[in-house]
Amino acid sequence: MASIFSKDKRIIYIRRIQEFWFEYRSKRIGMAGLALIIIYVLVAVFAPFLTPYNPVTQPRLAQATAMPEWVTVFPQYSDYGKTQRENLNWNVKKGSEFVEGWGTSVEIRYEGGNRLAQVELSSQFSYNQMAPNEFFAKFRYEIENIRDAECSIALSLIPPEANSSYIFWKSETLNADKSQDVTTDSKDPVFIKRLGFALQENVGNIIFSQKGDYTFIVLIQFRPLSNDAMAEVIIENSQIVLLGRVHGILGTDYLAKDIWSHLVWGSRISLSVGLLAALVGTVIGIFVGVVSGYLGGLVDEVLMRTVDILLCLPLLPLLLALVHLYGRNVYYIVLFIGIFGWQGLARVIRSQTLSIRETPYIESARASGGSGFYIMQKHIVPNIIPVAFASMVLAVPSAILFEASLSFLGFGDPRVVTWGMMLQHAFGFGGFSQLAWWWIVPPGLAIIGLCLAFVFVGHAFDEIVNPRLRRRR
Amino acid sequence: MREYLLKRIIISIFILWVVASLNFVIFQVVSPLSPEDTYAPVSLDVPPETLELLRELYGLNEPLHIRYIKYVRNMFTFDFGISFVSRKSVISEMSQRLPATVLLLGSSMVATILIGTPIGILAASRRGSKTDIATIGAGLFTWGVPVFYIQLLFMLFFSYYCLKIFGVQLFPVRGLYSIPPPGNPLAFMADVSWHIALPLITLVVGGFGSWALYTRNILLDALTQDYIVTARAKGLTERTVLYRHAFRSTLPPIVTIIALSIPGIITGAMITEWIFTLPGIGRWYLDALTQSDYPVLQGVLFMFAILTIFCNLIADLLYGILDPRIRVGVRR
Repeated sequence: MASIFSKDKRIIYIRRIQEFWFEYRSKRIGMAGLALIIIYVLVAVFAPFLTPYNPVTQPRLAQATAMPEWVTVFPQYSDYGKTQRENLNWNVKKGSEFVEGWGTSVEIRYEGGNRLAQVELSSQFSYNQMAPNEFFAKFRYEIENIRDAECSIALSLIPPEANSSYIFWKSETLNADKSQDVTTDSKDPVFIKRLGFALQENVGNIIFSQKGDYTFIVLIQFRPLSNDAMAEVIIENSQIVLLGRVHGILGTDYLAKDIWSHLVWGSRISLSVGLLAALVGTVIGIFVGVVSGYLGGLVDEVLMRTVDILLCLPLLPLLLALVHLYGRNVYYIVLFIGIFGWQGLARVIRSQTLSIRETPYIESARASGGSGFYIMQKHIVPNIIPVAFASMVLAVPSAILFEASLSFLGFGDPRVVTWGMMLQHAFGFGGFSQLAWWWIVPPGLAIIGLCLAFVFVGHAFDEIVNPRLRRRR
Repeated sequence: MREYLLKRIIISIFILWVVASLNFVIFQVVSPLSPEDTYAPVSLDVPPETLELLRELYGLNEPLHIRYIKYVRNMFTFDFGISFVSRKSVISEMSQRLPATVLLLGSSMVATILIGTPIGILAASRRGSKTDIATIGAGLFTWGVPVFYIQLLFMLFFSYYCLKIFGVQLFPVRGLYSIPPPGNPLAFMADVSWHIALPLITLVVGGFGSWALYTRNILLDALTQDYIVTARAKGLTERTVLYRHAFRSTLPPIVTIIALSIPGIITGAMITEWIFTLPGIGRWYLDALTQSDYPVLQGVLFMFAILTIFCNLIADLLYGILDPRIRVGVRR
């Protein structure tokens, strides 16, 4: 193989590629396909820069199945809001003598002797969008150095123009040092019940139905048990998150994950699975085709009967069974698609080899003592490379479609994000009943675009390397 | 002809035997499962004595080659065992599930051929026209478009969006018939047709393009032959040339393509049955996969192979009848 790198050979190869490229350039459909493939490759390579979120480990960005942000240009969605995060800044309303510093982190020191004490903190934020479907509020409290005292903490919300308040959270009586992160989530049934709503009611819609200034109140009460009572309470990390009805470029799925980032990262899997599986299949196909065509006889008979048998196997059911038995691993999927996808190519290569075998230069190579292996790798393989390459390009879309089908049926690798899996989730987890077109349509379009790009390129290739087709045009 | 037939049948049986052996290798030899797992649903806490009894019952203690012979015998006698889930024999449940699949496969194939062939002929007869280019486009398009995606889109727009916008469910989204099914046989048939309409339409939409392209290419190939020149020189009308001379000679390759596309159609039907919850073989197979129902898996895989081999056999024989050059029993 080292001779490939000799200078003369290199010049010949470069010239051949140049000629090929010259011819390829005139195929409009081929150039379109090539451009599309380049775009996909760029998207796959620069995925981390195209999306701010990691597809697997991303926080809750918006409500589940949020619409894309740009739908707000349509009048019926103009009121839909993005996610609003408010860090709560506390002001002291009552009991300022105990408070030693306020803002995002409030420190309360109670050295009350024997009297009851009450500290009330308030924080205001304004909300001017359509009521959210989901929200959560959180804060952290720490109780330190508590001695002979009991205290209780409560978080409540006062809507604008209302006298009543919603009690979000209330501690039991605390009489020991403790720290806790409190989260109240509108999806939490305990929380909904505490607010006094029925479980099927949409708490977010009810509470935040008005536009205006909402006030959070933290009420801390101390009760002394002796004359020597004392306690320190710290309130910090307070935040209210009103999850958006719209989010990002393509909205969110049922787990409130960003669909755009899934789409971008999915291109990596589809591209690599398609290319690798096609490569595996092509290598096997070339090997079988050349050996079968050159050696002939019994070897040929056995290999071609194997091809016949493989053509009789229902591929998808078999692949599903293999993936089920050996594990849902993306490498296995590549391998299985490759191993069971070379029959057609082997037949084509074999017939090409048969005709090349009869040419005079093969005869002279054999006459000068070239071994079978030498002739195959030196004279036959280089001649069938163009055909094999065209067929490999056409094998990529079917490999991509196979992987997509596997993932769609729920047999994809669960550790990676793929377009087929996105469709599976949309189909299985309510994307259809919610009419979530932003969730259903994009992954399929991505699959179609990539597959068509390879089909176009393969078609253009085929016209160049396959003289029969060239004559037709 | 008889010799040829005999030879083909023997080859088919040989292929079937290889498939059965492959099944044995995949499920019994190199499988990560222990053999008894594929015969009975064994839970983790089964006492060793019971396990030993099971192994004895299914003859798993015997040497591999004896097990292999028994396995192949079971496959060839359609004794696939008992489904773990339904506790019925695999073959009897298969016969219950078959009608739905046959209905879907058969009707979609017929419809695809009936729609695709005329388009292909039209494209070939007006080569280079807009019709021709559109046909090529449609054919290439089907290469790159997953049928299940077409089905999902149709389902989204014609079932869910229709219900939302117009308040009418144009097509049902699951099942082969309404529940409860209408008692009147005519009404039942209408109900089934209504349920199968969307899967059928989507399968045809996903398949007619490539079919038309096949027909076009084969016909164009035929139109360059010498006998077409002769026919034209005789002064026959273009119509006669096209239908009586060219189209007749395209039948053998078309029949071959039908046979060769059967495995692909089974695949497509499987996903279709999954999407539309049709109680066919494909859906059954997928359910068996998720429930690790190994007797069903082995049985269905084997039956799929039989179906494919049988179709290939029929295609070969038809080829012999349609193409006089083959009749002597010599392959081209």
